[in-house]
Amino acid sequence: MSLHVLLVEDDRDLRFTLKAALEAEGYNVHAAASLADAQALLAHANPPAGVDLVLLDLGLPDGDGEDFLASLRRNHHMPVLVVSARDAEPPRIRMLDAGADDYLVKPFSVAELLARMRVALRHRGRMVRPAIKHYAHAGLDVDLDKRVVCKDGQEVRLTPTEYQLLARLVRDAGRVVTHRQLLADVWGPDCVTHTHYLRLYMGQLRSKLENCPADPALLLTEPGVGYRLVEAPDTPA
Amino acid sequence: MACYCAAMLSAQSTASHLVRLSGWPGALVWLLGWWLLTSLDGHLDLANQALVLVLLSALAALWLHVVLAMACCALAMMAFNYQFVPPRGTFTVDLHQHVWLLAAMLVVSWIVTWLMSRQRQLTQQAQQQAQRAQQLRLLGDQCRAADDARHMVDLLQSALRTLTGQPVAVMLVKPAPELACTLVGSANESEQSGLQLCASMSAQMGPGTGRHEEQPAWYLPLRASQGSLGAALLQLGAHAWILPWPDDLRLHAQALCDQLGLALERLQVQQQAMVDKEAAQAQTLRSTLLAAIAHDHRTPLATILGAASSLHDQAERLQPQQQRQLAAVIVDEAQQLARLTDNTLQLARLDAPGVVLQLDWESAEEIIGTVVRRARQRNPAVSVQTQLEPGLPLLRCDAVLLVQLLGNLVDNAMTHGAWPGQPPQVEVSARGADRMLRITVADRGPGLEGKVAAQASRRGTGVGLAVCQAIARVHGGQLRGLPRPGGGAQFELLLPVGSPPEGLPPDAVMPEQVQQQVQQQIQQQIQPQEKP
Repeated sequence: MSLHVLLVEDDRDLRFTLKAALEAEGYNVHAAASLADAQALLAHANPPAGVDLVLLDLGLPDGDGEDFLASLRRNHHMPVLVVSARDAEPPRIRMLDAGADDYLVKPFSVAELLARMRVALRHRGRMVRPAIKHYAHAGLDVDLDKRVVCKDGQEVRLTPTEYQLLARLVRDAGRVVTHRQLLADVWGPDCVTHTHYLRLYMGQLRSKLENCPADPALLLTEPGVGYRLVEAPDTPA
Repeated sequence: MACYCAAMLSAQSTASHLVRLSGWPGALVWLLGWWLLTSLDGHLDLANQALVLVLLSALAALWLHVVLAMACCALAMMAFNYQFVPPRGTFTVDLHQHVWLLAAMLVVSWIVTWLMSRQRQLTQQAQQQAQRAQQLRLLGDQCRAADDARHMVDLLQSALRTLTGQPVAVMLVKPAPELACTLVGSANESEQSGLQLCASMSAQMGPGTGRHEEQPAWYLPLRASQGSLGAALLQLGAHAWILPWPDDLRLHAQALCDQLGLALERLQVQQQAMVDKEAAQAQTLRSTLLAAIAHDHRTPLATILGAASSLHDQAERLQPQQQRQLAAVIVDEAQQLARLTDNTLQLARLDAPGVVLQLDWESAEEIIGTVVRRARQRNPAVSVQTQLEPGLPLLRCDAVLLVQLLGNLVDNAMTHGAWPGQPPQVEVSARGADRMLRITVADRGPGLEGKVAAQASRRGTGVGLAVCQAIARVHGGQLRGLPRPGGGAQFELLLPVGSPPEGLPPDAVMPEQVQQQVQQQIQQQIQPQEKP
């Protein structure tokens, strides 16, 4: 059964191009040009189980996608990918913190969009997260149940803080976790502005887990936003 | 020199004020002379004694005020008559010739006294004129050397203070529409409004000016060629109502104020000229840049339009491989255009006044890692090496901007940093140097001169490097291009290193399970100790 995607985009050409590209990949695309259309499509979704993923543009003629994201998050659990021409970072961080699964800045390639959609669908949204318990990719093996981290088969000793940081990234493997989310989940809500903690511990984690810490292949930086653990192609959901 | 002059002026003016009240050397002359006259009585005849008296009155006139000196002469004549002219001990005079002698003596002494004091006054005036001219010249010179309004005001304040020895306040009034006032020295509210009034009317106020005569101070405008740029307040002291300050002192003070007014005006004109020049330069730069941007955008657009229209119109006549090639060209050029747009937008944003940076503590390692990774994704054929000194300090910067800067440099090295037919070799290195971080992007291409030549034909470079410069500038750093030892070019970015907040990060908040385990362990440790 093909997956249903709700595409909310007001630009006619881009909507047409994306719809064609997604349908070529086997998705069932419902296109909406405005917030009202999108809400109507959601309300009368067929099949009734609804939509599997939402692609949401921010600047829409009848309102801001930001408000729509908030109402979506209150009632639905499907993944939401925000697409926007706004490349300034604060909205990007705000969207991620507000519950968007990912954020794509226009212009982007179809390949990039498809990759991000795959990651988002694997996580099946933020609210009902089937937490990843095991991560294995490029020589790194993390088992969250046993609290064991191995690099190329050798066990790596991590401090409790390093471990928690890694575990937080593993649970969202493939997705950007914002600085704020990391700081709040690892150090507590009082520390959300202390980004220099993160720099220190990410440096330590990289020196223990990366082959070349200066040229990381696993723990990636999203400048001004947060960190991303590279998606493992066969991560069991 | 200035100090000496000021001190001299101060002493002089205070003394000239006091000398009108006390002429004690004159009194001393009279006392000593009278004693001499008495002790020489019997050795000199009356005519000689009279001559001594004339001499005394001439000497005393050197110090005494003219009226006082003349009164002293009259008094001395009467005393001389009483003590020396026979019959002694009375004011009567026996001989007619003695009456003539006394009268002649009095008239001669008065004339001498008057002449002496007149001469003294003229000398004093000449000295004063010379000193004031010197003071005026000095203030003019100092103001010319000063390049700051506040310093000029300080100079005027100290110059005016030497005139009266009383407190002086100066207020600068900015022209409309700002109308902001700066006050140097102390003035109460009514004095401040007086200063503002004086500046706006451009007229003197206070005793002797015909305006607000009752004020215990002079208000003098700082006059320039058009209106006044402020006003000065000269307190006149408690005794001013008994002994008013002379008008010429006020005129001199006004001349000093005008000197400052003109100097301030000159400064304003200079500053305005500089602002105008910068604006004109910025305008020229903007026009050049706009032309470059338009040109840079048109080239990839032409390629895209060509390839896309070919695919659209000739699809059935093209081989599948040709179609794929055309599509790849469109993707490449569109990406190039996207980067160009990013750079152009960023340039416009950074050029706007009041640009806000998203500053945070960032690790240079992470930023360079991101740049290198993105470059490899874009062009897997290029070899990008990194050389990072261990333990690099954290940077206080906007990560997105810095990634854009380094990305542009790496892009530039990938595009121009190789001889034709060879794959580009890019090296990114970072090391600390004297409270700065030095990040270098180097290649083994034809070098900078080749690059400058290539800029004319190759698109995007102008805007890209302009953005790099702008980003370096807003971070308080510098960017420069240098020839690389051993061939090639390198761009060197110097960024200032701040000191991150003190203190080590605390440990992570422990999950409940771990906390429970720890508590159990603690209890187990305590219990065995309690048993024995």
